[in-house]
Amino acid sequence: MSVTTLSHELAAIVGNHHLLTDPADCAAYAVQGVTPALVVTPGSIEELSQVMTIAHAAGAAVVPWGGGTQQSWGYPPARLDLVVRTTRLNRVSTYKPDDVTIAVEAGITLAALNTILGRHGHMLPVDAPLPRSATLGGVLATAMDGPRRLGYGTLRDLLIGIQVVEATGRVTKAGGLVVKNVSGYDMMKLYLGSLGSLAIIVSAGFKLIPRAQAAATIGCRFATPDSAFVLIDALHAGQLTPIAVELLAQTGSTNQRGNSRLGNVAALFAGPACYGVLVPAEGLPAAVQRHVRDVTRLAEQAGAEAVQTFTDDAHADLWARVVDLPQTATIAPGELVVRLTCLPGDLAPALRDAGDIAAQHGLALLTVARALSGVAYLRLQADTADDRATAALQAWHQAMLRRRPHLTILAGAPTTKAGLSVWGAAPAGQAIMQRIKHAFDPEGRLNPGRFIV
Amino acid sequence: MDSSQLNAELRRMLGPRGVIDDPDALITYDADGCMMDTHAPQLVVLPTSTEEVVAVIKLAAQAGVPVVPRGTGTGLSGGATPMQGGIVISTARMNRVLEVDTRNNRVQVQPGVINFELSQYLKPYGYHYAPDPSSQKSCTIGGNIANNSGGPHCLKYGTTTNHVLGLEVVLSDSSVIWTGDGTPANGGYDLTGLLTGSEGTLGIVTQAWLRITRLPEAVRVVLALFPDIAGATATVSDVIACGLLPAALEIMDRLAIKAVNDMYKLGLPDTAEAALIIEVDGVEDGLDDLLQEIVGICERHGAINVRPARTPEEQTQVWAARKNAFGAMGRLAPTYHLVDTVVPRTRLPYMMEQVSRIARKYDLPIANVFHAGDGNLHPIILFDRRDPDQNERAHAAVDEVLQISIAQGGVISGEHGIGVEKLNYMPLLFSPDDLAAMQRVQRSFDPVTLLNPGKIFP
Repeated sequence: MSVTTLSHELAAIVGNHHLLTDPADCAAYAVQGVTPALVVTPGSIEELSQVMTIAHAAGAAVVPWGGGTQQSWGYPPARLDLVVRTTRLNRVSTYKPDDVTIAVEAGITLAALNTILGRHGHMLPVDAPLPRSATLGGVLATAMDGPRRLGYGTLRDLLIGIQVVEATGRVTKAGGLVVKNVSGYDMMKLYLGSLGSLAIIVSAGFKLIPRAQAAATIGCRFATPDSAFVLIDALHAGQLTPIAVELLAQTGSTNQRGNSRLGNVAALFAGPACYGVLVPAEGLPAAVQRHVRDVTRLAEQAGAEAVQTFTDDAHADLWARVVDLPQTATIAPGELVVRLTCLPGDLAPALRDAGDIAAQHGLALLTVARALSGVAYLRLQADTADDRATAALQAWHQAMLRRRPHLTILAGAPTTKAGLSVWGAAPAGQAIMQRIKHAFDPEGRLNPGRFIV
Repeated sequence: MDSSQLNAELRRMLGPRGVIDDPDALITYDADGCMMDTHAPQLVVLPTSTEEVVAVIKLAAQAGVPVVPRGTGTGLSGGATPMQGGIVISTARMNRVLEVDTRNNRVQVQPGVINFELSQYLKPYGYHYAPDPSSQKSCTIGGNIANNSGGPHCLKYGTTTNHVLGLEVVLSDSSVIWTGDGTPANGGYDLTGLLTGSEGTLGIVTQAWLRITRLPEAVRVVLALFPDIAGATATVSDVIACGLLPAALEIMDRLAIKAVNDMYKLGLPDTAEAALIIEVDGVEDGLDDLLQEIVGICERHGAINVRPARTPEEQTQVWAARKNAFGAMGRLAPTYHLVDTVVPRTRLPYMMEQVSRIARKYDLPIANVFHAGDGNLHPIILFDRRDPDQNERAHAAVDEVLQISIAQGGVISGEHGIGVEKLNYMPLLFSPDDLAAMQRVQRSFDPVTLLNPGKIFP
C-alpha cells in the first residue's frame, strides 16, 4: 500500500483541509500507542463511503473515530493506516417531534443531540460519560450505558434504525424510523456494541422519551456495603420506580483526584471507606415527592449515616459529575478502568471480591455501579506508576477474572494491559461471531485485532 | 436416508406420541393463522427436551429435509408454514416454566409456554411478563421470540426483544449454545438480539431466560369515544406531550366498536367513530391528577363520552373489548385478513383516510384496531374467501395498504413477521445490499439453510 497514493486519492474526495498527513498531526489520533499514517474527516455519508472504497482497494487498516473518548477500549490495533473521523457527520436527518423519534448522523455529540431534543420536550436518556465530546456513533459502537438504564433502558432498547458503511464502502441500512419493526433481521443489535469491527455506523434512528415534569435525587451515605445493599434490596423488592440506583464506593488510600471528580457528592464521601447510594426519581411532581419520602425512610431504616435530597441545579450538577465517573478519555498514571457485569443479585459479593483483591494488592478502588442492573465500573489506582504498580494491577485482574468471568478492561497503560485478557472470558457462540466477522470483513480491515472476534 | 427410515428413526427416539405422520393430521399443520399459502409437512415431531430437538436436527440434516419450528400456529405471516415440506418441530410438549428468579428479574421457560399463562404464573410473585400480544391466550413464548411480538403495552415496556435475556438454541449443525442468562453484555456480538425476530431461520429456541417486570403499584385506564378518528389521534399526541409515556394508547374504529359492542354488550354509543383506550401506570401519587388531565385533553378534542376505569374489574372489561376485537370480527364476515404495518406516528391520520378510501375502492369493509402510540396500524379486511372475486379484491387491498405505508416511511411488519406473506415486499423496503448483509448473518448461523427455508428473503 502506498500512503502517498492513498493520500492523494483521499484528498481528492474530502479536500486537503480534511486530511492529516503530517506524522505530528496524526500522533493526536494514535490508538493505544499505534499512530495512523493518515487521518481523514469526510463531510458526508457519501464521502465516507468513497473514502472506504478507496481504503479498501488500497488494503488499508481503518479505525473509525468519533469523539475519541473510548479509543482505550479493546486491544491495541494490530494494524492502523487510516483513522476515519465522523465528526463532520453531525446533521439531523429527520426529526418530526410529534413522531417522538429522530434520525441523526453518527458524528453528533450526545450533548448536542440532547440540546436539540430538549427544545421539544424530548430526550435520549443515555447518560454515557463526557457527553460534550462523546459522539452517538462512538457510544453505539461500544454500547456504553448510563445510570438511567434502569428507568429508560439502554441504547439496545432505544435504537430503531441504523445506516452503516461496510469495509468495502458499501452503504447498507436496517430498521426504520418506526418504533416497532420485524421487517427483516434486527441488524441494529448486531452493529450495536461491535466496536466498529463489522462496519462504520454513519447514522441511527431512535425512539425518544418525553422529558419528565419533575426530578430529584436522594443521596444516602452508608458506613458499610452491607447497609448500602439493605437499601438497594429494599428498592428492588418494592414498587417504587426510581430511574437509577447508583452505588458509589471508595476504598483504599484517599483519592484526592477522585474526590474532585465527585464535586457536591464528595460530602457523601467523608471518611476512609464509605458507600453512597444515589436514587434519582423523574416523573409527575407528586410521584417524585413520594420517592423522596419513601427512599429517605428506607435509607434511614437501612442505617444510613446521612441522607440528602438534591433538586434543581444541585441535582443536575450531581449527575453531570456522576455520569463522567466511568470515563476512559484520560486516565491517571497507575490507573486501570474495568467494567464488571453480573446478575444483579450477585453484585454485592462481586464487589466484595473486587475490594478484597484490591486491598491485598494495595490498590485504591473507586466503584460506580448500576446497582439494580448488575453493571459496575471500577477504577483501580496504584500509588505509583512503576513496575510494581503494573504487577499489582495485573495481579488484581488475573485474580478477579478467575472469580468473575464478565470483566472487561476499558482503559489502562499499554504495559499494564499487555498479556491480559482485555475482554474477559470468551463468550458462548464465539464460532458464530467469528463467521459473522469474516462474512462482513473477510480481510480484517476494520479495527483489526481490537475486538473479541 | 429415505422417508420411512427417517420416520422409524424419529419414532425410536421420540416415542410413538412424539411423531405425527397421519396424512389427515398433517393437513392441520399446513398453515398458521395466515391462510394465504399452505403446504403440509412430511412429518411433525413433538420433542420434550433440548436433547430430543438436537436428535431431530441431526437426522433432518442427514436426510437433507428442512426443519420448521412451530408454537401454536397463531402466527399471521405464514412463518410456521412448511413451504418446502420437511419436519415441523412443534413445541407443544416443551411447555414448562423452569425457574422464577425474582431477585434477578428473570424467568426460565421452555418455548411452548403460553404467553398469558406465564403472566398468570408470575402474578403471585408480584411480577408479569410485559409483552402482551392480542393472541396472548393462545400464542407461545417461542413464537413471540421468533416474531419479536408486540402488544398494546409495548408502547412503554417495549417489544419481545427488550425482554429476552438469553436463549438456548439448537443450531443447524446440531450444536447447542446459551446466548446469555441475564448478565449484562460485556463483549461479543449480540446473538440474543439477532435471534429474536429471526422467525426460526437462525436456530431452534429450546429454552429462554426472559425479563420479568414488577407489577405497577397503580394503574388507570380511560376509554374515550370520539365522533371522528382525527380527535382520537390528536388526543394521542397531546397525551404523550404531558411528559409521561403511557403504558398503552389503543384506537378502535366504528366497525371494530360495533363488533365488540355486539359481542360484549358494552353499550357503547353507535355514533362513535373512534374509541381510544389510554392506560397510565406507576406509583399511586399523582396518577389521579394525570387522569384528570387526560380526561381534559380528550374533552378538548371533542370526545363525546369519557369513561375513567379505576377498578381492576372495569379495566379488565375495557381491555377485554380491545383484546378480543379480532375474534369479534368473525361476527362481521366469514374471513378477514389482518394487515400489520407501522408508520411514523404523525402519518396515522393520513393512513386512516387512505384505508377508508381503499375500502370504498375495493368495496370491502375494513375495520381498524391499532396501536396508536406506536404508529402500528392493523386494517382488518373483511371478506369471504370462498368468493374468488372477493378474494382477489382483498389481496389487492392488502397490497395497496402496504405500498402506501412504505411511501409514508412505514415498514411492512411491526410485530407479525415477514414469513411467506410479505416476502415480495422486502425488496421495496431494502436494497439488494441491505438484504445481502442480512443474508450474511443467516449463512453465518445456518450455512446449509436447514432451518425454515423460504422465509424472510425473497
